Amino acid sequence: MAPGGSATAGTDRTPPSAEPPSPAPEPVTDLSDLPPALTWRRARAAWPAAVLLLALALWAYAVRHTDVSALDDFGLVTALHPSFWAGLAVLTAGFWLTVRDPARSRLWPGAYVLGLLVMERATQAVLYPTPLYAWAWKHDGVVEHLLTAGELQGAEQVGDMAVYDQWPGFFAAQAALVRLLGVDSAAMYMAWWPLVSSLLLLLPLLLIYRTFTEDRRLIWTALWLFYVANWVGQDYFSPQSVAFALHLGVLAVVLRRYGRTGDRRGQALWTAAIALMAVTIVISHQLTPAMLAATLLVLCLLRRYRDWVPLVTVVSIFLAWCMTAALPFLSAALPEMLRSVGDVGANVSTGYGTTPTGTGAVATSWAARLLSGSVLLLGAVGVWRQRVLRHRALPLLLIALAPLPMLVANSYGSEMIFRVLMFMLPGVAFFAAAALLPTVRTLAGEAREQQTVRSAAPRRRALAAGGPLVALLALTLAFVPSYSGKDRISYFPPEEVELVQRVFDEAGEGSLVVAANRNYPLAYASYGSVDHYWFLEDDRRHVDAIVADPAATLARDMRGVERPGRAYVLFTRGQVANSEMNGQLDGEQLERIRKSVAGSPRFRLVAENSAGSLYELRQDGGAAR
Amino acid sequence: MTPQELVVRMLPPFGGWLALAALALPGGSPLRGAAVAVFLAAGPGVALVGLCAPALRVRPAQGPVDGRDPGFARRSDLLERLMLIVFVSVGAVMIVATVLFATHAFTAQRVLLALTVLTTLAAFCPRLRASPPTPGKPRTGKGSAL
Repeated sequence: MAPGGSATAGTDRTPPSAEPPSPAPEPVTDLSDLPPALTWRRARAAWPAAVLLLALALWAYAVRHTDVSALDDFGLVTALHPSFWAGLAVLTAGFWLTVRDPARSRLWPGAYVLGLLVMERATQAVLYPTPLYAWAWKHDGVVEHLLTAGELQGAEQVGDMAVYDQWPGFFAAQAALVRLLGVDSAAMYMAWWPLVSSLLLLLPLLLIYRTFTEDRRLIWTALWLFYVANWVGQDYFSPQSVAFALHLGVLAVVLRRYGRTGDRRGQALWTAAIALMAVTIVISHQLTPAMLAATLLVLCLLRRYRDWVPLVTVVSIFLAWCMTAALPFLSAALPEMLRSVGDVGANVSTGYGTTPTGTGAVATSWAARLLSGSVLLLGAVGVWRQRVLRHRALPLLLIALAPLPMLVANSYGSEMIFRVLMFMLPGVAFFAAAALLPTVRTLAGEAREQQTVRSAAPRRRALAAGGPLVALLALTLAFVPSYSGKDRISYFPPEEVELVQRVFDEAGEGSLVVAANRNYPLAYASYGSVDHYWFLEDDRRHVDAIVADPAATLARDMRGVERPGRAYVLFTRGQVANSEMNGQLDGEQLERIRKSVAGSPRFRLVAENSAGSLYELRQDGGAAR
Repeated sequence: MTPQELVVRMLPPFGGWLALAALALPGGSPLRGAAVAVFLAAGPGVALVGLCAPALRVRPAQGPVDGRDPGFARRSDLLERLMLIVFVSVGAVMIVATVLFATHAFTAQRVLLALTVLTTLAAFCPRLRASPPTPGKPRTGKGSAL
């Protein structure tokens, strides 16, 4: 302060006067008279933005300093720069403090959830130069095939892959998109699909939760928990990702517009909207219409949602498709489907070649199980503790339970348990959030809250505030190993893509590609003209025969290929990772097989790089040698 | 209809014709990608949901039992409309592309053209309105005291 500050300040006091005060500012000579540049109130208003920016800055720093060139059995978990974890923790803490502050703008929790989606679902797209997941590459192959064929084909042309032509909705749209964007293939953008498909879920989930509560803490915490517990990985470039969003869209419309009001006006148009979404689901995916029908049936058990129109609409469309376009597949698969009904043990089993093996695979697998188990447990606690909510949001509880009977019905290629978990999550996440928020704003809940706050000891109150944050942090951090812990299997470096591309560049019609398993990029490229044999999926005795005498056994397996076709053996690092981490052959065994093929006169080396090697069976089968 | 309403109503078909024009740009160009992606994600939905909006609005929406915020239901309706716009657009793209494949008539340009024509027709159609409640027939729910 200037020495003469007080004297100068005294001159500011103007004498009382009838004249209005002059608008001209008086010269300020004392800095203490200036309004503070950053008031406490302003700082308080700005901190959610500051925390969010800090979290995103830490994430951006992390992705710039993460090296994915040598992933170990923990996948991305050990490769990530520590600042990623710090960013995720800061984001979670910021979300929790923001969402619980009633004075905050309602937009901040949404901004934090978007930040979570970026950190969860965009990290891999930024880090990896190629798209993840052999399944995503397979779907890229289906899109390519549709574009090449220009029509839907049957089993006589494409064998087992005809199933995709009988549920073509997603692939047909992607084929159009590839051409309209003018890109080479869907691989150009499919790495970003997890982010896109997760964003698609945002609106229907918000609507569903907003049907049962106005409490934004509950709504946004449920959304947060849904996203962190949805590690199953069905957000990749797949029909399931879009069908699941539409499934939630139908449920949102039914929950909001089909309660018993007695007013039928406008119902025909709402039914048309449901029908359009149902048609889109039905032409795209096999399982989702069944899940949707089961959920709508369960909702009809409630008096307040006993409107059969949505259920009849969905079932009619589903049956119409099954009886026409999908009939070839269903008629072939029906005996097996009927056999699996009631065989719960087999249906929940994840099958041979899916046993996590090695420290990393086991640890990340347990992280995923603990994450799912914790959210299910939290959901049960929420149902038990929130009596009023349990009554008011009973439809959500039923939505959570409706997928369970599917475990009795079918194994869905050893994936049913994961799909059931995913379809349960919207309901489970709501009650799990309620477990973390004991003061849900219902009338009865408020009265109980006030009583609890008055009577609780300070230590207990601190625990009540800190405990949920710790739980939310643990669940959010557990998402990373659950979702990205197997990236050593899922990631295919550019060299691997280049090597496999070499096969299809020179393989003529009728060629055969032999590999240990199908975990490599472009595995389904040209599936209309090039055949495949994945020997680890064969009978165990035959696998043992291959291990005992690799080159001779594989050459025998491949000798049926006729000109102009060629027979190749492909070894890649992705196959080794998949086999090792899922309890099949280990790296040494596969290397012995490769060396046997490399040293055999029956085969010649076609290409080799850091990601693997490619051999071709000589045209005479090596017989002359 | 005010000039402003007319402009809003014509935006989706304009987006479709713009996306068609953008196909003249080189493949992979960001402008072409943006024009196509924005139209496919929202264009048909905006036109079709806009066409049905007055009739859809008459059916009351369920909300929280302890609802106290008058703006909450309005914001939920807005979110619902946004959701329908996106899902109707996605559905339209998937259905049109599938139909063209099934009829051996697929080209991506035809998909875009069909969606643009659909959007244009929907934009020019008069808005659908629900019939007024039948006079003299009070609606009483089961269990009502009336």
